[in-house]
Amino acid sequence: MTDMIKIEDLSKKFGDTEVLKGLNGSVSKGQVICVIGPSGGGKSTFLRCLNLLEKPTSGKVTFESNELTALNETQLNELREKMGMVFQSFNLFANMTVIENVKLALVKVKNMSDDEANKLALSLLDQVGLQEKADAYPASLSGGQQQRVAIARALAMNPDVMLFDEPTSALDPEMVGEVLKVMQDLANDGMTMVVVTHEMGFAKNVADQVWFMDGGVFAEKGTPEQIFEHPKNDRTKDFLAKILEA
Amino acid sequence: MKKFFVWLSLVLGLIVTLAGISAQPAQAADNSLARVKEKGTLVMGTSPDYPPYEFLVNRNGKERVVGMDVDIAKKIAKDLGVKLVIKQMSFDSLLVALETNKVDMVVSGMSPTPAREKSVDFSKVYYKGGQSILINKTDKGLYHDKNSFINKAVGAQTGSIQYSLGKKQIKNSTVKGLDKISDLILALKSHKVEGVIMEKPSAQAYVDNDKSLTMINGNFNLGKGENDTAIGFRKGSTSLVNEVNKSVDQIDKQDLTKDYLKDAGSYMKTNTHNTTMWHYAGYFAKGVGYTLLITVISVFFGILLGIIFALMRLSKNKLLHGLGVAYIEFVRGTPLMIQVMFVYFGIGLFINIPALTSGIIAVSLNSAAYVAEIIRGGINSVAKGQTEAARSLGLSNTQTFRSVVFPQALKNIWPALGNEFVSLIKESSIVSIIGVTDLIYQLKAVQTATYKGVAPIIVAMILYFIMTFSLSKVLNHYERSMRHD
Repeated sequence: MTDMIKIEDLSKKFGDTEVLKGLNGSVSKGQVICVIGPSGGGKSTFLRCLNLLEKPTSGKVTFESNELTALNETQLNELREKMGMVFQSFNLFANMTVIENVKLALVKVKNMSDDEANKLALSLLDQVGLQEKADAYPASLSGGQQQRVAIARALAMNPDVMLFDEPTSALDPEMVGEVLKVMQDLANDGMTMVVVTHEMGFAKNVADQVWFMDGGVFAEKGTPEQIFEHPKNDRTKDFLAKILEA
Repeated sequence: MKKFFVWLSLVLGLIVTLAGISAQPAQAADNSLARVKEKGTLVMGTSPDYPPYEFLVNRNGKERVVGMDVDIAKKIAKDLGVKLVIKQMSFDSLLVALETNKVDMVVSGMSPTPAREKSVDFSKVYYKGGQSILINKTDKGLYHDKNSFINKAVGAQTGSIQYSLGKKQIKNSTVKGLDKISDLILALKSHKVEGVIMEKPSAQAYVDNDKSLTMINGNFNLGKGENDTAIGFRKGSTSLVNEVNKSVDQIDKQDLTKDYLKDAGSYMKTNTHNTTMWHYAGYFAKGVGYTLLITVISVFFGILLGIIFALMRLSKNKLLHGLGVAYIEFVRGTPLMIQVMFVYFGIGLFINIPALTSGIIAVSLNSAAYVAEIIRGGINSVAKGQTEAARSLGLSNTQTFRSVVFPQALKNIWPALGNEFVSLIKESSIVSIIGVTDLIYQLKAVQTATYKGVAPIIVAMILYFIMTFSLSKVLNHYERSMRHD
């Protein structure tokens, strides 16, 4: 099986601070990868390097045999369509209604007719259980609802992989469940996913692979069972102990 | 600190370039007469607030410049076989207009003094007036001639002979210079000044039309030319001057000025026949029309150019960024009034831009700099996540800006933008200095025509308020419709 995403020797510096220190890894089709680890360890930066929202300082990111790091803006835009992204702070477009949020890229990027886009958007909103909010503005929705809209918006482009950047960290505890449920359904349908998360339960139940990241490197990779039941690395053990205490 | 010097040198470089292109072209050979005949028009510059020399009359709601000087100019144009075109502007701007080819001659009750003769060619003298001092009738008996004004304040038109006479010949007096005779009369009536120095026929005109005023002989020691009135031409226009002098000789021989003055007198009577503000509604309407025209066009180009300059300033391209910053800083760092004069007189040296167009260009370019800064602030106020979300969906930079960033920026800056446009309605009034007939200009015209000072001010004030208030209402409506929370 060929790798959908291949990461080779990926490094990122902000000024003099080295945030990512030569990462390697690969994601194959249908796989769910959960990236866990302490805050400030570089998890989000890593994820943002995958669709080049953050430009790596060195190293390669290859997506479906295209070396992203070598592409120009236009080529990059075409590939970004295929990599849906969900953000910690939702980032719904504040000037548009829910359905307009979902439709925007369909109309602008895929040149879909308004009718067609409407139909698709409504069915996606139905999938995340928010069809009745189609004409509401984001500001009137709860955090959980906003995040589900954001997921529908990313799914609209029919992506090959979904990147989740701590999708539940900004939510009130009672809303975490509804978002995780949507994500679990996606995984069950065979979507390839890379999820940066603090939800250990989700990682345990849904992930095929768990990558533990600390200090800009993957300190340990393995199946959920390996990582959560038999961690080898001291830093992993440390981190898990702290999480379980809390 | 190093960056600061880079900017400073950029801005200074811009200034030097501008100064370079606006340097006076070399004196051309004298083709003044041929030029006038070729274009078929004789353009006369005048400041029509000086009855009976030149002033405005209201005929069926439409205004016309009339007076002795206009009759003289008409005769000259007729003798030359060309059409007369009258350009109105403030007295101060007349000589610049002459220098920069905006007008062919200045007929505006101007005295051919030695100082002026350095930069202007004058025709023969067509009229000899005397210098009088206008005073309040209630002060009659207090003042007898110039020597009564020792230690007092007197007024005169800025840049005029009367102004320098007052400065030089009245001991310890304060001479207040104002641009418009109508403002000087207001100053006199409110005792900001105790007398206004002006030429005898003008003073006579005010006394005839305003019962609260009277005049005394100034008894000034008049030097060469200071009692005379002549027509001004661009330096080196010998052929045109010689031709015009033939007409002046005829005027002198046939004593035509007498008829012209009578003519002017009858106009002044029709003028003062009905001095209600309603009678001058047409004047004000025209002023409002021009003020709105200038504002609307300037708002449009202000936004368009403002967006461009804001994007330049935000650009990662060093050259674009530098140009954007230099433009914004330079325009914000110089007064609008100077920019208006620069476009009209400075750039006008090379291309002939009409006053209205010059005014619109200057106001638009000025507004663009302020709008650019407002827009830049607006763009920066949109959360970075909005851009990232759009880019992650495959939208290009341009699409992201148009669909996501700009609409949100616009909403955030709407109140500031509205503020800018409201002040544009008011600040556009500066174009009146180059003779654009906006509301302020028309206000002065009505003051001159009716010999009333305060009533036109009140009318103009109310009209400005109606305009700005309506705009605020419209802007508020759109602000509400953009609110989504």
